[in-house]
Amino acid sequence: MHNLWDRILRSNKEEESLSAFLQRIPVFSHLNNRDLQYIKTLIHTRTYDPGEIIFEQGDPGSGMYVIRSGHVTLFTRDARNKREDLSILGPGDFFGETTIATPAARVTSASCNENCELLGLFRSDLFAVAERRPEIANRILLGLTSVISERLQNAILELRRHPVSEEAD
Amino acid sequence: MNMTRSQFLFFYLVMTAALASGLAIFSSASTIALALRSAAAGIFVPLILALATAFVLDPVVSRMEKYHIARSRSTLAIFFFSVVLLWLSGSWLVTYTQQMWISLVQDFPRYSSGLIKYIKEAQMSWQDQFPFLIQYDLTERVRSWAESFFSFLIVATPKSALKLGSLLILVPLFAFFFIRDGANIRRNLIALAPNRYFEMAHDLSYLISRQTSRFVRGRIIEASIIGACITAGLSLTDIRYAPLLGLFAGITNLIPYIGPLVGMIPGFTIALIDLGFGAQFWWIVILYVLIAQVILDNFILIPILISRYANLHPLLVIVAIIMGGKIYGVLGMIIGVPILSACKIAFIQIRHYRRAFSLPDTGTELPR
Repeated sequence: MHNLWDRILRSNKEEESLSAFLQRIPVFSHLNNRDLQYIKTLIHTRTYDPGEIIFEQGDPGSGMYVIRSGHVTLFTRDARNKREDLSILGPGDFFGETTIATPAARVTSASCNENCELLGLFRSDLFAVAERRPEIANRILLGLTSVISERLQNAILELRRHPVSEEAD
Repeated sequence: MNMTRSQFLFFYLVMTAALASGLAIFSSASTIALALRSAAAGIFVPLILALATAFVLDPVVSRMEKYHIARSRSTLAIFFFSVVLLWLSGSWLVTYTQQMWISLVQDFPRYSSGLIKYIKEAQMSWQDQFPFLIQYDLTERVRSWAESFFSFLIVATPKSALKLGSLLILVPLFAFFFIRDGANIRRNLIALAPNRYFEMAHDLSYLISRQTSRFVRGRIIEASIIGACITAGLSLTDIRYAPLLGLFAGITNLIPYIGPLVGMIPGFTIALIDLGFGAQFWWIVILYVLIAQVILDNFILIPILISRYANLHPLLVIVAIIMGGKIYGVLGMIIGVPILSACKIAFIQIRHYRRAFSLPDTGTELPR
């Protein structure tokens, strides 16, 4: 009897935790609970092995990934194919959001450091939402715009703090 | 190489076993293929029709979804509305169609003999001008074709009624699930792609399905408008079977280049035999050629409804019609061209996709 209730409650808990998890992501922070239930049907859950490449620099980019478990390294390769790590992201972090609204090539590569579970939201899904539920698409785009604006502001401040010297050119 | 008798016997047995198992595998494979083909034969037509219905109704369901009506509920509402409409118009529609069909079957020999008479006159005149064509007997060909078509009509009518009954059940059923779960079916299929190609497969499947559904929807709306225009135009004259002729012109309009020409033949034949060379005949010619094809189809409908790059080269259209006809008869002739167009759309989308992402070179130098 106890097992039966456990099984019923566990599935609910898992679903609830996915909604709660999504709500913590800044891109989805403007969505209410009903919107999140709808978004859950659009999110793609993908699992990756350690060392597996998620995308390579120059690949066609069509959406963003949110890390649900595991760690992901973003890196670039120079002309001699030498790898340079840029950052390591963990659960709750997201990447690739700049390609969600407009098609662009990936500017970095991403690989998994361990077994990872990623949630993907892609441009085509966003277009489909915009056709069927425009108000949800609006809220996602609002979240996305605030994230990108914040990053742009930070980048400008960072540039001001460390101006590129003319000698470097 | 010297072989002992036992070695030779062993070799012989192995070769025989290999041959036998090869034949068994081949025959079982062909049996399975045959079984699959016969199993799929009954399901192919309803599937195609249901897909077309789903493509047409999908925008209506999406629009209802905008007003917070769940997808299942809005799909059910549309089907319920269609069933009520069919139910209300059913008694009138069935009697009207049945009467028209019976009278057409009775009239068919008169029309075919009239057509044969005209062809015979034409044949005599061209054989006078080009004596080397004397061997070619077009009249006989048309006569045998008309006879076989007439016998097919008589035999096939009860069968078609049965088929129509099964289609009336299967098509809405399939269409309902295609509309409700189409996106999920596509999503689950795409989920099977390996991680590395998942993004590309997802993006391409969306682009291809969107373009294909737009194309199919455009073609069906175009054919319906042409059919309605021909029916309305013919109703102004004294010609019989205007709705059937409109329906035929609409269906054949699905095939580019050749379809509209084929769609005109029954209209011209019936007009010529029943009405003669009068003002009404010339009005029907103007209606079919100028109003329906040139003004309405080429100047208004095609630029609005049909994407330019789904256009097929006339040669490809002919190949698609012949191949479709060989595989699935008359239905194959009609759906061969849209299927080939869908393939062309997929091909073009893949090329666009590759080109869009091959332009910026982000591979080497990045600002640091």
